[in-house]
Amino acid sequence: MLRLGRHTFADDQALMMAIVNRTPDSFFDRGATWAEDAAFDRVTQVVEQGAEIVDIGGIKAAPGAEIGVAEEKARVVDFVARVRSAFPELVISVDTWRAEVADAVCVAGADVINDAWGGADPELVDVAAAHDVALICTHTGGVTPRTRPYRIDYADVVQAAIDDTVAYAERALRAGVARESLVIDPAHDFGKNTFHSLELTRRLGEMVATGWPVLVSLSNKDFVGETLDLPVGERLLGTLAATSVCALAGARIYRVHQVVETRQTVDMVWTIAGRRPPARAIRGLQ
Amino acid sequence: MTRIVLVPGCWALLPRFASSIDPVADLRAACDKALSWLGEAPEIVADGVGHEVAAALLDARTTSSTEAGRSVLVVANGSACRTEKAPGHLDPRAEGFDQLIGTALRTPDPGALRAVDATLAAELWADTAVLPALADLLDGARTLDVGYDAVPYGVQYWVVRWEAR
Repeated sequence: MLRLGRHTFADDQALMMAIVNRTPDSFFDRGATWAEDAAFDRVTQVVEQGAEIVDIGGIKAAPGAEIGVAEEKARVVDFVARVRSAFPELVISVDTWRAEVADAVCVAGADVINDAWGGADPELVDVAAAHDVALICTHTGGVTPRTRPYRIDYADVVQAAIDDTVAYAERALRAGVARESLVIDPAHDFGKNTFHSLELTRRLGEMVATGWPVLVSLSNKDFVGETLDLPVGERLLGTLAATSVCALAGARIYRVHQVVETRQTVDMVWTIAGRRPPARAIRGLQ
Repeated sequence: MTRIVLVPGCWALLPRFASSIDPVADLRAACDKALSWLGEAPEIVADGVGHEVAAALLDARTTSSTEAGRSVLVVANGSACRTEKAPGHLDPRAEGFDQLIGTALRTPDPGALRAVDATLAAELWADTAVLPALADLLDGARTLDVGYDAVPYGVQYWVVRWEAR
């Protein structure tokens, strides 16, 4: 069983986590959901598309203007409360590395803290424990939040990702976060070049074999763009190909921009893997 | 008293070929209703995978009769050539072939069931090898109801209940 705050899911279920940016400058949507109403419309849309989780973020991952705690809270806290009240069945995740922001969004109704920066704030685990919410433990190779990778090397990037995320999960466990509420994420492109992200994709099964549920965030990222030499708006097919590989390996949560396309891809692969029946099979069985 | 039920040997009824949306939900419901009228351990008259279909349907049934008497579950179906999309494609002879059997089942007419043309049945991909055995059971029987009579995927299915002394 996987428990994300108020919500529980069976172990054979693959979940869609739709990205909702309350930012003016994120790489894919470029501020399309910066306005609160636009972000709310995006939530409504992804719920209709069947996403189980929304991941609300107030700060873009790439370097840029410094966003302080007060500004980050202003962007996400009331918005989380609004989404919580409108969609009681929806899992609300918040993408933040700051314990103070995490605490405020949990009070407002968040179910998951998605710490995309791999434990940069040591108190984040205490906040997750205090509110009994889930925590996404990512691997960044120890880089500072909102920095780009530069000549980072690993003896074995997959082993490093496993070691760091499992250690993070165990630290969270010791801090009191529930075992069934911890998820690990190799964090493609974070503290990694394209070769690292490709290797993590190819060997994702090793992360799954740790027994911790694995989240993958592949959507339209640079490793896809660099692999295919395509700009941000043209990376869907590459994203879905990488998604297929991760799905076959058994990744449980998919953090995505395109919910419908990813769901179809994961459902197809999940069924090939024998973890989901076909929707409706009659060919040759009449 | 002998209770006799006919169901089709449709593979979509098997758990190993289950979908999340049942493509034969109506048929399955009709089978379950008829099978709940049979006793706890019916004799099975079937051919090939028909045995597995019978066992699966008996395993899945919601209830069974506790009344004394013999129970027999027969697995057979008509042609698989009723439409363009049918497994055996459309064969103009199929409709008449299925009508003949359908009438013989409803009446019931054991003689007509014994006389079904085995060569034509093979050409029309029909699962009728056990019809002579069914005919023997139906001597002196009366039809209680036809719970299903349709061609949902180009294959003729029947679910029928009979009572014999």
